Amino acid sequence: MIEMNHVSKTYSTRIKALSDVTLKASTGEFLFIAGPSGSGKSTLLRILFCAERPDRGEVIANEICITRKGFRDVHRLRKTMGVILQDFHLLRDWTVGKNIAFALEITGHAGGGTKRKIEEVLNRVNLLQRLKDPIFSLSAGEQQRVAIARALVNDPPLLLADEPTGNLDRTMAHEVMEILADLNRRGTTIVFATHNMNLVQDYPYRVVHLLGGRVVPPPEHG
Amino acid sequence: MLSFARYMMMRALQNMKGNLLPNITTIAIIGISMLIFSAFSLIAHNLTSFLKIWEKKIEVIAYLKKEIPLKEVEDLLLHVRSLEGVESVKYVSPLDAIAFMETKLGQQKNLLEGIQPDILPSSFEIRLHKDYRTSLKVQEVAAGLRRIPQFDDIQYGQEWVETFSAIVHILRITQWILGGLLLIGIVFIVSNTLQLTISSRRKEIEIMHLVGASPAFIQIPFYLEGMFQGLVGTGLALLFLFFLYYKLILYKFFFVYLTPSMKEWLAGISIAFLDWRTSAIILGVGTVLGLFGSFVASIRFLRYARVASQ
Repeated sequence: MIEMNHVSKTYSTRIKALSDVTLKASTGEFLFIAGPSGSGKSTLLRILFCAERPDRGEVIANEICITRKGFRDVHRLRKTMGVILQDFHLLRDWTVGKNIAFALEITGHAGGGTKRKIEEVLNRVNLLQRLKDPIFSLSAGEQQRVAIARALVNDPPLLLADEPTGNLDRTMAHEVMEILADLNRRGTTIVFATHNMNLVQDYPYRVVHLLGGRVVPPPEHG
Repeated sequence: MLSFARYMMMRALQNMKGNLLPNITTIAIIGISMLIFSAFSLIAHNLTSFLKIWEKKIEVIAYLKKEIPLKEVEDLLLHVRSLEGVESVKYVSPLDAIAFMETKLGQQKNLLEGIQPDILPSSFEIRLHKDYRTSLKVQEVAAGLRRIPQFDDIQYGQEWVETFSAIVHILRITQWILGGLLLIGIVFIVSNTLQLTISSRRKEIEIMHLVGASPAFIQIPFYLEGMFQGLVGTGLALLFLFFLYYKLILYKFFFVYLTPSMKEWLAGISIAFLDWRTSAIILGVGTVLGLFGSFVASIRFLRYARVASQ
């Protein structure tokens, strides 16, 4: 599903964000990318959804080599993956339903069955009752659940989540985690970047640790 | 396909509605720019037509020397008729000249009382072939006539023709220079207005990029917006120019305080509005400029990877 081979990325300010990173996530897997702030987690995810290009190395996502020279089909690739970010990226004045319908509209999937699809994804994130409420009236946790619903509405096989619980308290973070764990049980591959080691320890998923842009062995506890 | 087009139109209109004031300002600026350009086109078009009409009527008058005996006139007439470019020649005696002046002066012909016809020179009114009725060709014919010793003077209104041609030429050059500058200005203005629209919808565009909207889906509404600004601005400019033209025509016919000679002169000039083909071209140019402006804005602000960065 996802493969990164010897990927490096340096920003123009000579900050080395990633150094020779190699990792793999199989279909149906839930993979944590864990590390402190500045360890390169976001850069790694941004490379996976083509918001950044690596300087070196090869990246394969959903069987498409996205580092191929002249790769222009970013939008096609993104249709095959859901992306959830820490700051939700929702239109605050729009209703929950309209935010989700927008994702269907812009990917050309609007039309017959739109209402049913929206209700279905909102049901999966336990927000069906907030369908007609504007985003600004929702709590941070609810907003993140709307963002998850939006990411899911096009049925992507892969979900990339960059610190989706970063703005949430422990309870809300666990609520979001439970939703994602449920999705994973239903077959969605999930790559989840977080700095929250407590959250990582609470779930039985494989963890890739990043530090200073490199993959490192898990820190020893104790 | 139809629903896609309708959706794109709807989004373009939403964009415009959301940024009404910048859009109205842009349309007004495009309108003023295109009005200036179209007005120059209209003036140049009419002066060119006027020059062409005048050239068609071009005639050379060759004044004979006083001492030329009448019996030589017949041979001279035949000689002039045989010259290249000459279609017909009419001999005008001093008596004919006086009669012509009397007709021209109408009720004021008594001004000519006491004037003896023999003070006026005899002349040849030389009509040229169609191809020779241009300011350049007429000069060639006049030069040939000047070499004939029996002629005292050759006149064809050369100074007037040359000055008028120069004015039309300068007007055409000004039209294109000014037009070029205005057109660049339009691209710049449209591009900047659309930057405002893009900026106000930045969040929406980011989400579109994030979810995987195609570049066409994101860019087409902005292209439509630019085209619409160009089309409406230019359309209004042409309408306003037509209004000015219409008023000018009315002025020409109903302004009663003009002197009779001015009225006669004005009546002889037909002021035409830009023909439908030129109007359509100007409208098309305005629309394409709007599109180009939006294209510039989209290159700068709608590229995929850039907006998706967070």
